[in-house]
Amino acid sequence: MTPWSHHTTMESYWFGDREGPVCHPFAGDPMLCAGRIERLAEDVNAHMPDWRIAVRCGVVRDRSEYLERLRDISFALARRNLGRALLNPSSGLVQMVRMLDLLDEVINLLTERAMEWHHATRPGFSRKRAPPGGRGRIELIREDADDDLAGLLDEIDRLKDRRSILMKQVSRKAGDALPNCSALAGGLVAARLAAEAGGIRELAAMPAATIQVLGAKTALFSHLSAGTPPPKHGIIYQHGRVHGSRRENRGRVARTLSAKLAIAARIDYYRNSIDKEFLKRAEESVRKAGRGA
Amino acid sequence: MIWIEGQLVSEGPGEVYGERMIQGYRIWDPKRSKLSALFHHGVELELQFGQRVLYLGAANGTTVSHVADYTEVVYAVEIAPRPMQDLLVVAESRRNIIPILADARRPEIYRPLVEEVDLIYQDIASPWQTAILLQNMEFLKEGGTAVLMLKPRSIDVARDPDELFLEAERELGQGGLEVSSKVRLSPYYPDHCAFICRKSQRESGRRSSEERMDRK
Repeated sequence: MTPWSHHTTMESYWFGDREGPVCHPFAGDPMLCAGRIERLAEDVNAHMPDWRIAVRCGVVRDRSEYLERLRDISFALARRNLGRALLNPSSGLVQMVRMLDLLDEVINLLTERAMEWHHATRPGFSRKRAPPGGRGRIELIREDADDDLAGLLDEIDRLKDRRSILMKQVSRKAGDALPNCSALAGGLVAARLAAEAGGIRELAAMPAATIQVLGAKTALFSHLSAGTPPPKHGIIYQHGRVHGSRRENRGRVARTLSAKLAIAARIDYYRNSIDKEFLKRAEESVRKAGRGA
Repeated sequence: MIWIEGQLVSEGPGEVYGERMIQGYRIWDPKRSKLSALFHHGVELELQFGQRVLYLGAANGTTVSHVADYTEVVYAVEIAPRPMQDLLVVAESRRNIIPILADARRPEIYRPLVEEVDLIYQDIASPWQTAILLQNMEFLKEGGTAVLMLKPRSIDVARDPDELFLEAERELGQGGLEVSSKVRLSPYYPDHCAFICRKSQRESGRRSSEERMDRK
């Protein structure tokens, strides 16, 4: 576009520019035209298209050719924008976190059902013998499990293996997509926050107070409607500094951590690189909050 | 519109979403499409060949495919990437669907693509349902038709639907749309109401530059 073109009455269309009676057709494949349409969206000279002008410009012969060209271009444009939307690193991460949570649920349900089955076939069995902490329940029943049940126990074990692989993948991916949040709260917590928020962009747009109670929906709404005490923390409770701190300090730690996470999320979204100086100061203030005022 | 044995149908390549066929025509189920439900209520609205349509909230392209069977061209706007993947597949089997991945609240994004149309169909359930239609008025020719599928629950669950219907009608009137009929879509879609509107002739919308030139 020439600089003096702004002084004449220029009309820009996806198929070309018109200055009075003169028309400059825009030649190019659908992909180039798609790029032009994106630029036109911000151009003050852009006009709503009219196929008759396109014919007069010599770009197309008739209306059906006009529509055919426009269709090709709109497909190119939609496919490219679709690719951009799906390439967004958070969309994969969110799905992985949801899969991880679902795997936990499924493994628990299956284990629970296997225990019931075992109870029914072994009269002498009692789950009271299970080691504390609820771990190793599968190991407990494996030795004298029913033949039919034994095969299923193997499958549950395999699911557990998959779960730990997926957990590592989530942490690694969160480290790439959310480097500062991951450094501050751990990859898994960072990924869970992004998933609950609906994406990295959404997380970056959230105030710290919202991040603090992300994942504590039930408690938050019962606070708002019934006036119960407000939740101190949601997902960030899973962070060692929050659940590891003394009860009376926990609210303060959660508040400080979420304030720093809100900043970290913005650095992650807009800059997507580690900020060592910020992390040092942030970790220091979280540590201070844990020691008490 | 084409009716066979009391069922609304359209003529076009089938197998878009598993719809049933009758005598080679695609059955347009009023339980799956609000627009079909509207036709089943008997309204003075016809889709005709030669019509240009701007469709806001195209979703997976179920209703879009039927509209495209009747009309010349459908500009189908959808904001969400996932349904757009389906819409592209539907649009591949038809020559006259122009898929647009964009937010209908920002018409400037697709202004370079969309021409003046005869009919705007607004089926986006959002708190700004009426405003979205009005923001897209520049695409509607004078005397053209706009159909708004209003879902009061999306505006405010707590308020009385009748009150919201009245409010919408007032807003449409202020925006230069004359409501010619209101149709409740029950039993197919309880608490939805379709507004069929005409763009008043007096309202001086943006004329296409071609018309301006022709008058010179």
